[in-house]
Amino acid sequence: MDPIEAVKAKYADQVLGTGTHAGQPWIDVKRDRIVDILKTLRDDVGLDMLTDLTAVDHLNQGLPERFAVVYQFYSVKDNVRARVKAWVPEADPTIDSASALYRSAPWAEREVWDLYGIKFNGHPDLKRLMLPENYEGHPLRKDYPLTGRGERMNFPRYVP
Amino acid sequence: MTEPRKTVMSVEEELEGDLGTRRMIVNFGPQHPATHGTLRNIIELDGEVVKKLEPEIGYLHSGFEKISEYRTYNQTVTVTDRMNYLSPLCNNVGFSIAVEEMMGIQATPRCAAIRVALCELSRIADHIISVGLQAMDLGAFTVMLWTFIEREKLYDIFENVTGARLTTSYTRVGGLLRDVPPDFEQMVRKFMVECEKTIGEIEAVLNGNRIFLDRTQGTSPIPKDVAISFGLTGPLLRACGVPYDVRKARPYSGYENYRFDVITGENGDAWNRYCVRVAEMKESLKIIDQVLKTMPQGPIYVDDPRIVIPPKTAMNTPGGGMEGLIYHFKNYMLGHGVCPPKGEVYSSTEAPNGELGFYLVSDGTQRPYRWRVRPPSLYNYQAFPYMTEGGLLSDVVAVLSSLNIIAGELDR
Amino acid sequence: MGLESMLPDGVLTSRIEALVNWGRKNSLWPMPFGTACCAIELMGTLSSRYDLARFGAEVIRFSPRQADLMIVSGRIALKMMPVLLKIWEQMPEPKWCISMGACASCGGIFDNYAMIQGIDRFIPVDVYIPGCPPRPESVIDAVMEIQKKVERESIKQRA
Repeated sequence: MDPIEAVKAKYADQVLGTGTHAGQPWIDVKRDRIVDILKTLRDDVGLDMLTDLTAVDHLNQGLPERFAVVYQFYSVKDNVRARVKAWVPEADPTIDSASALYRSAPWAEREVWDLYGIKFNGHPDLKRLMLPENYEGHPLRKDYPLTGRGERMNFPRYVP
Repeated sequence: MTEPRKTVMSVEEELEGDLGTRRMIVNFGPQHPATHGTLRNIIELDGEVVKKLEPEIGYLHSGFEKISEYRTYNQTVTVTDRMNYLSPLCNNVGFSIAVEEMMGIQATPRCAAIRVALCELSRIADHIISVGLQAMDLGAFTVMLWTFIEREKLYDIFENVTGARLTTSYTRVGGLLRDVPPDFEQMVRKFMVECEKTIGEIEAVLNGNRIFLDRTQGTSPIPKDVAISFGLTGPLLRACGVPYDVRKARPYSGYENYRFDVITGENGDAWNRYCVRVAEMKESLKIIDQVLKTMPQGPIYVDDPRIVIPPKTAMNTPGGGMEGLIYHFKNYMLGHGVCPPKGEVYSSTEAPNGELGFYLVSDGTQRPYRWRVRPPSLYNYQAFPYMTEGGLLSDVVAVLSSLNIIAGELDR
Repeated sequence: MGLESMLPDGVLTSRIEALVNWGRKNSLWPMPFGTACCAIELMGTLSSRYDLARFGAEVIRFSPRQADLMIVSGRIALKMMPVLLKIWEQMPEPKWCISMGACASCGGIFDNYAMIQGIDRFIPVDVYIPGCPPRPESVIDAVMEIQKKVERESIKQRA
């Protein structure tokens, strides 16, 4: 079954745009019923592997929402790929977690929380993955400077 | 350093039974002799049985994705070398293919064939080290020294072709750094003969060894649906019996022209992963043989001066040299050079560890707006608690060495 | 002349310092603190072709309490720096440090929020090796530099 048709049939009000590029269908959705959409894709369409979960920060690009959480899917038996993009506003950067559906989601979501600051509701253990626990800030946002805010110098010097 | 993790047991639960035993928390820390990089595991043990294992990563987080937003596409190739540092050419090729897909251009046949040959040589380099380190962790130190000799021979080939042993940065968008030297085929054929002999020796030592078999057979089998749900790819998934190989599912760079088999295992345990890796090395030798036999002649650069700089001879000849000079100049100016159209693409290739994916978002300028690497090691390592909980402590080492986790790719 | 002419054959005289330094320099036990690509080149240096064991480094101790030369090979991230400090403090005197590669010496190509711009901001380094990654011959040259340094030291400095 075609992923775009399956999602449009049940959740037509959530879909913001669709298309196909290089043989890979992509669907832009709102974030409200993302878990139901992912469940449909997994059970009805057969996209059983969540290959990747990441986020993009579209600051100052004139788009309605700032963040987009991107899911890449793959179906092992049908050899079909698909991409779903859920838009998340800056004022309330939260979205439901896909950890209950796919076992590859938890760490990817922790990484998105770590580097972008998008919270996942229902995540079993949402804490930082890549950076130290006491780090402040979310580095991959576009308004965070490349060289950081002095954290890399903030260590006690060695005293023999 | 972070504090030790607090357990959620009461005192009564801790002092159970007549012996008054207690669970112990062991830190299998970021600096340890199993040279798989900077991984930390916090293991809760009940005697020798692992009750809970919590991995902690991020000890090599280098901000790859952020720095590439300040570099052009051709400069980002140098950054991709440092991800999976056991097989840097596979990363280079994967990245160049992703950018070429976004721009809608195809590499020339000769360039594609050279990329395939070098990718397969990198695959042999990665698998042979992985097998060597797996054997070393289980006690067979000699095997590691043998595999490092083969890797040194591969370093000689890479140095002749690309100029560097490890951090090659060989591919460019639309082509390669330069063509292979004339004695490439001879060097590679000599290496293939010796490599086959070494693989035979490794199999002779390990395949019948009682200790190796006992420690790897039956350790952490994974059922197929669990493996797919975890997002495992590469030798780990194929060892479970799922024949998913990106080179067959979505052929790139001319892989459809070569005949090779996809090796699968049975139940996904450490023994099957070892067997899949050794068999894949032999398949890689077959592919390299076919590539060398059918290597087409011709240019290695795409015929588009906006992407690829013209050769120096086009600049220096009188009457016709001006265009070459202008393109040479323009390609490095701000705002020119490799500028893919606005859009995004997710492209994946088969790295030795699994499916290496690149998700690129372009805003029309010469710098990527967002460059995301889908690291196979991250998803492979996420399944580590599932594989080890309920097993013994010594199995933790056996499983970890069979996963081939590269910290550079894991943490980026 | 002097004392040596009065002693029987087969007896040498020297200073204690020279003897101790000769022993120390020919049995440097490295502790490889390998994190990234340079660690693979270090493993290549320790393998059969460029054998570092000829310099007395046969025993690669991954335990800091039994080593005297720490070779920091690879990039050091924000999270790893406290670990490096702790391991350096655990090593007993006399100890030396080699900073291998561009990332350990100065941050390398990673001038960003997550990378330490050179471990010498936090640890006293004796020899720096440039390169990304440095060739095994450079590593051997660095170990020989450390040997020369050890030779020149006075044992009072490392009390």
